[in-house]
Amino acid sequence: MNRFSGKISKIEVNGSLSLVTVAASERITIKTIIIETPETAAYLKIGNTIQVLFKETEVVLGLNQKQAISLQNRINGTIIQIEKGALLSKVVIDTEIGSLVSVVSTEAIKELNLEENQEVIAMIKLNEIMLSE
Amino acid sequence: MIKLNVSKSLDSVEGKINLRLNLQIEKGQFVTIYGESGAGKTSTLRMLAGLLQPDDGEVYVDNEVWFNKQNNIDRAPQKRKVAYVFQDYALFPHLTVKGNLEFAQTTKDTAYLEELILKMELGELINRKPATLSGGQKQRVALARALAQKPEILLLDEPLAALDIKIRLKLQEYLRQIHQEYNLTTILISHDLGEIIKLSDRVFVLEKGQIIKSGSPTEVFVDQQISGKFKFTGEVTKIEKQEVVYIVTVLIDQNVVKVIAQETEINNLKIGDKVMVASKAFNPLIYKIDE
Amino acid sequence: MDWAPIILTFKLALVTTVILLLLSIPLSYWLSISKSRFKPVIETLVSMPLVLPPTVLGFYFLLAFSPGNSFGVWLNEWLGLKLVFSFTGLVLASVIYSLPFMVHPIQSGLESLSTTLSEAAYVMGKTKSQTLFQVLLPNIKPSILTGIVLAFAHTVGEFGVVLMIGGNIPGQTKVASIAIYDEVEAMNYGAANFYSIVLLVITFSILLTVYLVNGGYLKRFWK
Repeated sequence: MNRFSGKISKIEVNGSLSLVTVAASERITIKTIIIETPETAAYLKIGNTIQVLFKETEVVLGLNQKQAISLQNRINGTIIQIEKGALLSKVVIDTEIGSLVSVVSTEAIKELNLEENQEVIAMIKLNEIMLSE
Repeated sequence: MIKLNVSKSLDSVEGKINLRLNLQIEKGQFVTIYGESGAGKTSTLRMLAGLLQPDDGEVYVDNEVWFNKQNNIDRAPQKRKVAYVFQDYALFPHLTVKGNLEFAQTTKDTAYLEELILKMELGELINRKPATLSGGQKQRVALARALAQKPEILLLDEPLAALDIKIRLKLQEYLRQIHQEYNLTTILISHDLGEIIKLSDRVFVLEKGQIIKSGSPTEVFVDQQISGKFKFTGEVTKIEKQEVVYIVTVLIDQNVVKVIAQETEINNLKIGDKVMVASKAFNPLIYKIDE
Repeated sequence: MDWAPIILTFKLALVTTVILLLLSIPLSYWLSISKSRFKPVIETLVSMPLVLPPTVLGFYFLLAFSPGNSFGVWLNEWLGLKLVFSFTGLVLASVIYSLPFMVHPIQSGLESLSTTLSEAAYVMGKTKSQTLFQVLLPNIKPSILTGIVLAFAHTVGEFGVVLMIGGNIPGQTKVASIAIYDEVEAMNYGAANFYSIVLLVITFSILLTVYLVNGGYLKRFWK
């Protein structure tokens, strides 16, 4: 599980859904959609420090910043380690907010020619991110 | 609303303990008392039922005094409008199932008894004596008998502990239903985390006669609050490494599920540990099952 | 043959047993739940007849009830009771003499029941006496039966107490055991044998019944 700490910078509520923006650093913000509102969850407060959690298997890797993709959560970093399995591989990326792990198919690593010291963009879907106190 | 503020010194197996309780229970809540044996859980229920006299303090229920040491008030158990399901069920051996239910009624209400018999699926058992029933059946009868009293407060002393998992799950379902349907304030003693999380609104953790923690089950038992809505508690039955990930097998109720995890997550995890499995509500697919 | 002593014996045993039953239920109940400091004293008193020679008991009854002392006179004048050498006196002595045989089985029966049975009944709004009669006693039927039979049989078999306090008045206090003694004294072995055989057969049947019932053979008929 990838875990980063940040401060809630924005909460947009509609019905029982909230779109929460968490600033993990000055430049990196992570957005998540959750079925909670500030009324149902006390931790939903602007400025509150919160943990952002997401699974390694939900992290998509990309090479080009300009790609037209719907994923808004994008974190730049450098690959520091690749551990290859027959089907799956684990990629450790050094980012501004700390190490981030992605598990992708080994085939994808080959296709993208991913290797250590390479710059990549880690992307996570809005709905894959959980918040925790 | 139940307000219990009492003290009692008890002789337990592990020596003397001083039970010192101060707790409030809202009307209609499902509350669990959790703690090791000898912590004073049963004594708490017994003091509420009037079967055990506190050394000091007071008990108020809906602003009526049930116990007050200073004013020497101690309402008899007969007048407390509670129902108590004992650990050993305490079914009357000389009466049939039906006889047991009828005995519990202060005013005869055949229609209500019929309803209970139907709801608790006792139809085939009504003419049997308790000695001929299985544990799960006895428990259903004990529960039905408690409800036959039309209580306002239902006290359950580890009612499901001795039963196997399948029957336990079914009875948990009964408990949840009857709690809601009959608008009861239910106080349960339980050791089973899954059961507690499933059933209770609030948990009191009792240790050596003191309440050391209270709150919602997740507040009490899960160190972190997590926003994921697809949450279950279960027990780790297997951890295996596959390539760069680990597959953790978790038994949730009767279902075996598998979760992919990284080394950092399984570091302090071992077989038999209780875990919470969480995911976002966005992930699961839903299918209707044709019956 | 004179059946009067036999009939008197069973009349005495019957009256004694009925009185004992009425007396022992509350007494046993109290003993089974009491935490009083006096409980051991009461228990000892109840059990005394088990170990005391019956003649000791009879002797003190005789002294106490004798018209020669003030208690005996008081009984006679105020209550109209003449307890020495009378059937009433015999009943009183037998009740005390057979008390443990009724109290012990009922008490241990009550003590063997889980306390949660009573507590369950209390929570259901039942009073203590409702609980006793509707929950506790129905669940110790074999113990009650044992008590009844033992008390009855023991009364049939008593001799020393009866001899001391009852004397030997035909139709009043001359029970079978006394009659046997009497006949032997008079060298009427035939008559003694008759009474003996009747007592032997009856007490054997009674005791056999108890063992059969409590052994479970008769349980289904009893329930």
